[in-house]
Amino acid sequence: MAEENSKGPVDTAHLYDGKVVRSSAPSRVKAAGTLKRDTGIPDDAMPEIEIPGWIETIFGGPVLTTRKFLPPDRMVVSLQIWSSASLLVLTFLTFMLTPVSGTAWFTLSNILGIGFIGLAIHWILMLIGLIGGFFGISQRDQRALLASYVALILVTVRFAGSKVEYGLSFLPEDETIQKILLILYAVFLVMYIEISSGIIRFSMLDTSIRTGEVYVMNVNAITRRYTRALSVTPAVAGFVAMLTLFINLIIPAFVGILDPVAANRLRESVELTSVYGVALGTILVFIIIASMFAINLPLRIQQYTERQS
Amino acid sequence: MFASLSIAMYLLGLVLRNQQLVTVAVVLLSFLTWAALRTAHGDVASTGKRMEDAAMDEGVQLQSIVAMRKTSSARVFEDGEIDVTVRIQNRSGVAKVLELRDRVPEVMRVKKGANYVLMEIGPKRETEISYTIETPLRGFYTIGPVCIRVQDELGLFHNEKEILLYDDFLVFPKMEDIKDAMVKSRVPKIFTGAVNIRNPGEGSNFYNLREYIPGDPMKKVNWKATARQDGKMMVNEFERDAVSDVILIVDSRAVSETGPVSRNSLVYSTRAAASLTQYFLSRRDSVGLVVYGDEIVSVDRDTGKKQLYIILTKLAGAMAKGNTPLKIVTNRIMPHIHRGSPIIILSPLEDDPTIIDAVRDLRARNFEVTVLSPSSLEFEFDARRIDRTGYEVLKTERDILITELRGLGAYVMDWEPDMLLFTALAGARGF
Repeated sequence: MAEENSKGPVDTAHLYDGKVVRSSAPSRVKAAGTLKRDTGIPDDAMPEIEIPGWIETIFGGPVLTTRKFLPPDRMVVSLQIWSSASLLVLTFLTFMLTPVSGTAWFTLSNILGIGFIGLAIHWILMLIGLIGGFFGISQRDQRALLASYVALILVTVRFAGSKVEYGLSFLPEDETIQKILLILYAVFLVMYIEISSGIIRFSMLDTSIRTGEVYVMNVNAITRRYTRALSVTPAVAGFVAMLTLFINLIIPAFVGILDPVAANRLRESVELTSVYGVALGTILVFIIIASMFAINLPLRIQQYTERQS
Repeated sequence: MFASLSIAMYLLGLVLRNQQLVTVAVVLLSFLTWAALRTAHGDVASTGKRMEDAAMDEGVQLQSIVAMRKTSSARVFEDGEIDVTVRIQNRSGVAKVLELRDRVPEVMRVKKGANYVLMEIGPKRETEISYTIETPLRGFYTIGPVCIRVQDELGLFHNEKEILLYDDFLVFPKMEDIKDAMVKSRVPKIFTGAVNIRNPGEGSNFYNLREYIPGDPMKKVNWKATARQDGKMMVNEFERDAVSDVILIVDSRAVSETGPVSRNSLVYSTRAAASLTQYFLSRRDSVGLVVYGDEIVSVDRDTGKKQLYIILTKLAGAMAKGNTPLKIVTNRIMPHIHRGSPIIILSPLEDDPTIIDAVRDLRARNFEVTVLSPSSLEFEFDARRIDRTGYEVLKTERDILITELRGLGAYVMDWEPDMLLFTALAGARGF
């Protein structure tokens, strides 16, 4: 059975068994067809077809690249520095803003009666995020980077009960500062993901340039645009997040024009100050954004820009 | 991926009542939305369907990009080079970062320059990219289309367009100089007898002297000979130049492509046919070609440089297809060729039980048959696709077939992969 399944060179014995050898050369094409299970078709005769796995199908492409990179150029090195800096800040913010209470491992360790295990897991997750991140950044290893993203996101998955809590007790309880810290944390997380992905992207590009696969005209202009986008986009994202997080102040401010009492009541309402207030804010902000897309505003802005220029 | 992640985090945040998760999700969504706005990814309508207008489909960013291509040659020989220049124009007033790939056939190698370029192109500007491709294999090829991609700066979204700009070119099989084989051989020409038609005619080589006949042009008068003959006018006669009809039969059945892409029987056969055509046409012979695979393609006998290019074009387009037996080919062409004409068959001699009959028929009608057989066994064995035992057995069968063909009076050469054409030809003729 094992022999039947093994692929190997064509066995030509069947061509001569009980047959008169003719002067015409035998056909190996026919031989391949007459053999039963062990066709013996050489491996290199088959075209290589890459069938994506179910994970790749979900994400619409390969999640990790296995490509070997050449030593980093100046752009990649500077991205590595930025990424490391944002990872440091992010880990510190995560440590500040994410208490162990409410996490699954905390609950589990309490049930088992070994409280410190929950805290240990919590810190280990943060350490995986930090060390994995540094390793991934320096070695440009996507697996380590992915582990770092997962660890840093996983550590925040906890039942929080609508109230912002700190991992450190000495931080101010002021709501505005809390929310600004939250936005900073979120912006740094997204920046860390974006810049570390940028390291891989630019390493691929740099390797392609140096191996002659792609030629880049005016590299400086392209990197300048990327750098500008890296500074503008987080600012915009932070602003939008601020609008949604401070919805409990924005809505009452509008209502206050008409009815100051109702505005005050709204300002102090649990619904608006809780996570559902943020959800409401998100819905309002994204309804505006969705309507922009519905009327194809980006396209129209572009058409306008092209006409004007 | 980011969009799925942010939505998952948002929903999880709501379920767990975790503001931290919701905030991260909101920031991530805003990040994506801004990037989408910057790329004009919004040309994907909110319904999820693209807009009806095909032109709008590509978005404004791509509509104002124009590409033009120029190639240095439309006909080239194997191992030759083609210089390609692509001019890109940005007719809009906005600078764009473009990724551009000019598609070249897979078998071609970009030798100099790049066909894949990332560039920033300013408003109302144009730029040129140039590259050189190597053409290792004969055939009909097409360069194009030009693929253009515009990305946002963060690489999150992109719009793509294919500019349907195509340039066709033809790669002729490589030709080998086979004159050496003739010089080294013991007889001055490969084909004696039938080829050397020693008849007077309109040629360039002196044949003999004869008396003047009214109507002979005065330029043919040999005045020295006339003086020696006491006033009897003598004229020069010349040897007729078109000496023979040579028929080349190329086997392009599916089996002829057995072996690696660049080293198989069909590749060798077409190169040999091209070299022989050039050689015979340079001798002012008339050459005809028959290529058989799934159909029989023939080129009528003719002389001259034009005939060379007609034959080269047919050889460039020979595809390994079908399984037409040689007997059908010979039966069809025999009534149309002069008896005694040399016929050269280029075939791996595989998977065709009619070969013996076909050659016997040709010999019976006094055709001089030469078989040049690139051995696909050797190609496969070199590529380690068959084992030693299989090779030995098949080789023995092949040798028996070749011996039988030789017994019919055909000149047969088992052409091994590393053997030069003129060596193979010399072997075939038994020199």
